Amino acid sequence: MIEARPGSPADAIAGLLADATFAPLIRAHRVLEARPPRHAPWPDALDQRLKTALRGRGVEGLYTHQAQAYEAVTAGRNVVVVTPTASGKTLCYNLPVLDAVARDDAARALYLFPTKALAADQLVELRALADAAELGLKTHTYDGDTPPNVRAVVRSAGQVVITNPDMLHAAILPHHTKWFKLFENLRYVVIDELHTYRGLFGSHVANVIRRLRRICQHYGADPIFICASATIANPRELAERILEAPVSLVDDNGAPSGQKHILVINPPVANEQLGVRGSALLTGQRLAERLISGGVQTIAFARSRTAVEVLTTYLRETFQPPPGHPHTIRGYRGGYLPNERHAIEAGLRDGRVRGVVATNALELGIDIGGLDAAISIGYPGTIASTWQQMGRAGRRSTTSLSALVCSSAPIDQFLAAHPEYLFDSSPEHGLVNPDNLHVLLNHLRASSFELPVPATERFGIDETPLLLDVLEEDGWIRRADDERYYWSHENFPASDFSLRSGAPENVVIVDTTGDRHRVLGEIDLFAAPLFVHEKAIYIHQGIQHHVDRLDWDERKAYVTRTDVDYYTDADLGITLKVLEVFDEADEPPAGLRQRGEVMVAWKVTMFKKLKYHTHENVGWGSISIPEQEMHTTSTWLVPPAELVNRYDRDTLDGALIGLARVARTTGALLLMCDPRDLGVLAQVQAPFTGRPTLYLYDAVPGGVGLTERLFTLVDDLVQACRKAVESCPCADGCPACVGPAIEVGARGKAVVTELLAGMS
Amino acid sequence: MLAPRSLADRLAAARGQRPVAPERHDPPPADRAAGLARWLGADLHLADVGRVVLVERTVPLDAETVAVLRTLPEARYVDTETTGLSTGAGTVAFLVAIGTLDGDRLRVRQWLLPDYPDEGALLRRVADELGSGARLVSYNGRAFDLPLLVARLTVHGLFPALAEIPERHDDLLPVARRLFRRPLGGARLADVERGVLGIERVADLPGFEVPGRWFGYLRGGSPDLLADVLDHNLQDVASLALLEAHIVGLRRGAWRSATVLDPRGMVAELLRDGAAADSLELLAVALERSAGHDEDVSLRRLATRLLVAAGEADRAEEIWHEATRRASVQAAAAWIEVARIRERHRGDLRGALEATAAASRVLDLAFALGRGGSIAEIGRARLLVEGRLRRLRRWVAARERREGSRAA
Repeated sequence: MIEARPGSPADAIAGLLADATFAPLIRAHRVLEARPPRHAPWPDALDQRLKTALRGRGVEGLYTHQAQAYEAVTAGRNVVVVTPTASGKTLCYNLPVLDAVARDDAARALYLFPTKALAADQLVELRALADAAELGLKTHTYDGDTPPNVRAVVRSAGQVVITNPDMLHAAILPHHTKWFKLFENLRYVVIDELHTYRGLFGSHVANVIRRLRRICQHYGADPIFICASATIANPRELAERILEAPVSLVDDNGAPSGQKHILVINPPVANEQLGVRGSALLTGQRLAERLISGGVQTIAFARSRTAVEVLTTYLRETFQPPPGHPHTIRGYRGGYLPNERHAIEAGLRDGRVRGVVATNALELGIDIGGLDAAISIGYPGTIASTWQQMGRAGRRSTTSLSALVCSSAPIDQFLAAHPEYLFDSSPEHGLVNPDNLHVLLNHLRASSFELPVPATERFGIDETPLLLDVLEEDGWIRRADDERYYWSHENFPASDFSLRSGAPENVVIVDTTGDRHRVLGEIDLFAAPLFVHEKAIYIHQGIQHHVDRLDWDERKAYVTRTDVDYYTDADLGITLKVLEVFDEADEPPAGLRQRGEVMVAWKVTMFKKLKYHTHENVGWGSISIPEQEMHTTSTWLVPPAELVNRYDRDTLDGALIGLARVARTTGALLLMCDPRDLGVLAQVQAPFTGRPTLYLYDAVPGGVGLTERLFTLVDDLVQACRKAVESCPCADGCPACVGPAIEVGARGKAVVTELLAGMS
Repeated sequence: MLAPRSLADRLAAARGQRPVAPERHDPPPADRAAGLARWLGADLHLADVGRVVLVERTVPLDAETVAVLRTLPEARYVDTETTGLSTGAGTVAFLVAIGTLDGDRLRVRQWLLPDYPDEGALLRRVADELGSGARLVSYNGRAFDLPLLVARLTVHGLFPALAEIPERHDDLLPVARRLFRRPLGGARLADVERGVLGIERVADLPGFEVPGRWFGYLRGGSPDLLADVLDHNLQDVASLALLEAHIVGLRRGAWRSATVLDPRGMVAELLRDGAAADSLELLAVALERSAGHDEDVSLRRLATRLLVAAGEADRAEEIWHEATRRASVQAAAAWIEVARIRERHRGDLRGALEATAAASRVLDLAFALGRGGSIAEIGRARLLVEGRLRRLRRWVAARERREGSRAA
């Protein structure tokens, strides 16, 4: 079954699969057989220089999907290309773009990537191809890293401008007059990593595209959009929602691939009573050590920054380089500075780096080539992400291995018990709500700064005139005699809001060890209370730093290097207040169900110190950081009164925790969303309803429509929860269903079952 | 069951941080432009793309200013009032003033926008006037006013007008910075007016209030709100002409009697005009005045550079002699300057060695007397001086060997 060559990575993978100590942990093993390439003839119209350049780079013919994309685009259709990592997706857009520039050097294209790192990568690739074809292409990235003297040149002469949506929003569109050469001649807009534009971020990006279209129209351009996406359930729908135009789907992958093993691994049971399994991190560590020592270049994905740093430390202890040699194990996550990241990426490509521990920062298409093995430690939250991570392993011709190591989280245990869900069910939908009113109003405001808005114009929704009235009433714009609304305010609206999270700014982490202060990295405002509160141990590249002071107003955390045998873990406390009820279902026998607007506030109040390796609690401390809050939408369930009156408060308290846990897991499955996007809170005596209440809310300001949809699915939710709990073989609660008895109480599982039955 | 809320209700809830709604006044007059022109007693210009109000005023100029300005190529003094400070596409110049010299007066034409839809008309008139071939004179116009006008013309697709904007543009801000920033502690136009031109504005509208006046007028306030803006703008343009005359005057010799002037900036201006001799004269006066001040050393260095360039190394050395006659770190530094001049510009290694040795002795003396610098300063200076001494000794010895062997 395994093409084993002595000493090859394939050999090591074969050895692992045959190992009796690992075998009992393997819950599922699938083999994807090797696939030969499928080629299509070169398009007749393709510029000869490009064809020659591609041949010179070893491309003998286009893969079927590349040829399809070229044809659709040159026929004037918007496309979305959905093929796996390393299938030559980039050429799907570089080819038509370079072809257009080769024909007419006035032609312009705009590339959007979600991160600066990806943009920098693509610049290198695009330039290499354009240089090989001797096109004399003028292209550059335009983002925060672009030197000021280069900016002016990019604006006036850049044929392909590579940037990100945030830059388009805040720097390019509001200054469109400086970019009129680009907008006048804009043929193509490329949106790569389309699947990252979902939820709130995607809703913002859809509105940035609305603004982009208005400006293109003003300058007389009508560009074609070329999107590329990782596998999601609805790439075409997502693209059409973001572009608000018809889009053709290209998903017939013609690229070859080697044989690939996919494993679902469940760590051994550590504590029967608590239903707790061994740490996924330790199991993942053993797996990684085994693979790396066999010469298998491996990437391990961990869920949190802390886990990344902890695992990096462990693996470095195992693979100590000889003195004077650099480490072959590297950590990689958001918060590292660009140079550090580029060095790691280069090390992976040239093989000096043998193992990498990463957060999902590497999920995106950074060009590190294919690796031999990918280990996901803990379910990344969505099926799409899982496949993205697993796709990091995979060579064109040799064998590779991908493994999911399940944690004790309920959704992980559900997958360990039902691995077919991972293999057979469709991945998640990318949901966006471009008409989220917060988002829409902000972008309409920004758009009216860019160009006056005729009173009859439609921006996103039919009720645009109503929105314009609101903006006028609030003093942002003013309607003139020509029936157009003009920006009438001193401020610069695009700088008032950010496209990502609600957080307008990051906390800068400053290392004060030694004489000179040094910026270590940044952390977003929402995560900062958890990781850089005072006395936290913040780990960066495996080095521990003690947070001496967090200056919340200045957004700065001051740290010094330290060396202690513990790490810290902060507790998050959440409160919720109902602001308004939008909708209510009248089914009194099954309890109350309502939907509305809520204010969710969260505060980090204390932290624990946990010892390395044993994870025992060796101390705690309190944290004083101001409360954060957001307005969002929620659906809440109140079990029937006569049902809850049967239990005492403690029993009910435990059972609600269990109910919340199972509702979040199944709710996320039902909505096909990332569980992190779905907030959940159980209150045994909710101030608003005065009764035990379970709140499910959109975990982004304004909401992206999750709980709105959930409200129509409440019956399905209750049924699915019932099935999950009743079909679970455990006696009185385990992490796969309501949680261990120690958390939900001895009768927890029974009470949850009764509650769910009463709510059906 | 509650009814789902209307969009209007949801909007109300979504508007978390609404700014304070501006005060609303009476509805605007039916014909805003005509009303505005009438109120200001100004002309109304009609064009096919809109209407624009023209306010024409004159400012008398003093004879001296007129005399200087008459010698210069024809100029358009330009200043704009805008709806904000960003140069983004939503910032509009609603008032553009263009001043020209007319006999012994400055004639200022202020083009005022009645409302946004008329902007095309304003831009065309302004482009016509600027496109007459005369040079532009502004204060920070290169970075702000001109790019803004270009952006506005671009929004309106008025590309031919764009091409007519003259290339010669004398932005007075950089010059004013060089000449006045240090002595005045700032180089905003208001600083320069007060400190250099002796203009004290009375009841002037602060610049940051300008956009608010415009928005107030647009939202149905009285055109009177704009009267102060027009005055403010007029004064800005008038100051431009006065300032240019003043700067040209300085260049032509008035620097000899000027009280507010950064000598280094003025030297840079004089050198630009090729007036090296004047530069030295200016420096000599400045050195006398500034003796003992912090800027003393940088002035001496500048003078050294100029003298050396003029082939007057002796005089360059003299500049430092006075400063060497003390027992201090500063005196040692002066000796080192002398050593540099001798080594680099006269090829006199032995002389350089002597001067460096003198620096060393001065430091010894300062150390022994316990004055002329802290122990740490003296220590640092000593390290530098000793290093230089060693090098010079080596070089001198090497040169003497060479000369010795050649003689033999």
